[in-house]
Amino acid sequence: MKKPYLLLTCLFVVLVILSVVRITLVNSISTTGKELVDLEAKINTLKKQNALLQEQYLQAASYTNISLKAKTMGFAQAKSQLNMAAPLPLALR
Amino acid sequence: MSWRYRFTLFFFLFLFGLVISRLFYWQVVRADELSALGQAQYDKQITLTAQRGEIKTSDGYAIAANKLAYLVFANPKEIKEKDKEAEALEPLLSEKSATISALLNLDKFWVPLKPHIDNTLKVQIEAKNLPGIGFQEQTLRFYPEASTAANLLGFVGKDDNGNDKGYFGLEGYYDRQLKGKDGLAIITNDARGKPILANMNDSTEKVDGRDLTLHIDRRIQFMLDQELKQGVQSYGAVRGTAAVMDPKTGGILAMSSYPSYDPSNYQQYSDSLYSNPFITFAYEPGSTFKPLIMAGALDAGLLQPDTRCTICAGPVEIDGYDIRTWNNEYDANSTMTDVIVHSDNTGMVFTGRLLGLDRMLAYLDKFGIGSATGIDLQGEVYPSLRDKSEWHEIDQATATFGQGLTVSPMQMLTAFSAIANGGKRMEPHVVDKVETADGNTITIPPKVLDQPISPETSKVITEMMVKAVDEGEAKFAKTPGYRIAGKTGTAQIPVEGHYDANKTIASFIGFAPADNPQFLMMVVIDRPTSSIYGAETAAPVFFKAAKNILSYYGIPPTEPVTDGK
Repeated sequence: MKKPYLLLTCLFVVLVILSVVRITLVNSISTTGKELVDLEAKINTLKKQNALLQEQYLQAASYTNISLKAKTMGFAQAKSQLNMAAPLPLALR
Repeated sequence: MSWRYRFTLFFFLFLFGLVISRLFYWQVVRADELSALGQAQYDKQITLTAQRGEIKTSDGYAIAANKLAYLVFANPKEIKEKDKEAEALEPLLSEKSATISALLNLDKFWVPLKPHIDNTLKVQIEAKNLPGIGFQEQTLRFYPEASTAANLLGFVGKDDNGNDKGYFGLEGYYDRQLKGKDGLAIITNDARGKPILANMNDSTEKVDGRDLTLHIDRRIQFMLDQELKQGVQSYGAVRGTAAVMDPKTGGILAMSSYPSYDPSNYQQYSDSLYSNPFITFAYEPGSTFKPLIMAGALDAGLLQPDTRCTICAGPVEIDGYDIRTWNNEYDANSTMTDVIVHSDNTGMVFTGRLLGLDRMLAYLDKFGIGSATGIDLQGEVYPSLRDKSEWHEIDQATATFGQGLTVSPMQMLTAFSAIANGGKRMEPHVVDKVETADGNTITIPPKVLDQPISPETSKVITEMMVKAVDEGEAKFAKTPGYRIAGKTGTAQIPVEGHYDANKTIASFIGFAPADNPQFLMMVVIDRPTSSIYGAETAAPVFFKAAKNILSYYGIPPTEPVTDGK
């Protein structure tokens, strides 16, 4: 006769625990909608900043731009080059 | 039951019946119509635009990317002092205040003022705190290197429905891969019109476009652009085109044309500049064609480099036409090497006669002359060879020195890849890898199209071409210290049934280092005026670019360098 009481008690405890868990979970995610909106706004801002930075980087790193800047700074294309092609006149051992 | 009670009962039953019938009308008879009407009020369908894929050079630099831009619009109903606002916008939008004022005076809620403004300008306009002015985000195709490789890249325009579409070059050829797939989402709004996040159901995911990584080496591309532009301008030519290929893989390392255009502002340029001359220009190749015929004859075992020409003592007469050398000088003891070195037309007629028409056409077919190269660019033109029955003796004779038949520079470059690559002709490719939106990379493997000649023949013809560079007409321009194989070409242009003596297509094709080619390059200069010869126009452009490429690759000279060059 004791077993059904034990079983019922266990079931009741489980029920209470699950209810508490459910209430806690529901409470914790009840504000997720707002957080999601905030996060999405943040993602959008970061994406825009990324796009702007990439544009600036690509413009700054373009050879067309570098070449123009080099010219304004007085650099000129090398007309001759030095090659150290001949074998070294040294014994390797 | 009194009559009052009955009357009240039936009265209420009647009223109840009326309510039921009205409800039936709304809930059943007009249910679908009202449901749709309601859905239209609280549901909003939005298109999730897929991001177009980037095009990157081999160093990972995005040569075609996407840029954030804005459309400035106005709500004239919210603007009270329209003239004052128009004056404030005039310097920012670079439009006359009268034009802006006319737009602001329209009886509309939304009027576009200026598209495609950048973020800096947007911030400046925002700082003015002008009422009724708003911004709509836009994505623009952005080419940071401006006109560099423009003919190779193509551009993004609009299709009939106003959607982005790639035209010409890579943007055209790979449009479906680059544009991705737009998504669709239905947002449910609450009573205040704000979106309910939990109800963003019924959406189809957008798939961003794929990124392309090219074989194009940005440094070689830039150097080639510079040299070609300088060459076309110095030699007073109509235009020029050039390309560099890795003969071992078929990868296109650079492709340039001048004059060119800026793909970001393609509308401001003539339509004629959009196509890529390197793959669309059909021309008579002239003497650059000779090594292909000579390679065929060598491969067939019909002659050797030291075989003497028996008809080279003077002009050769065929069907009433005299075939002459370009300088009208003749050497009765010419060897086949001399024929290539001095670009001797009579010697090529001798070679052609030994080869015969059938074998010549078979070799040309194996070299890919007359068929598409298969390059991954939109708009390739591939002149085909005439039917065998239409070849006469004079046609075969002139074809041996590259006149009377048309090719494209791309066909020539692909054909010569066989000579530079141990006899194997490679399929040309601009794109090396395709990267999907989920991070997978698809590598396009090199593909051998054919093997027109044996590795031994390729070595022999390479040596002849090295000698052509060292001792031929273009020797003054040669890059000192390196063994470079090459051939000049000066082709006359057919005009109304005859050749114009003063208008030529000057070209040079070659590869270096000859013993282990790292690049194969072709330069074509269209109608140069300072000199009509390839040796004096296309060859210097080739050697200047070759010098830069050899230096960039860090390839040391293999021969003594004299004159301090």
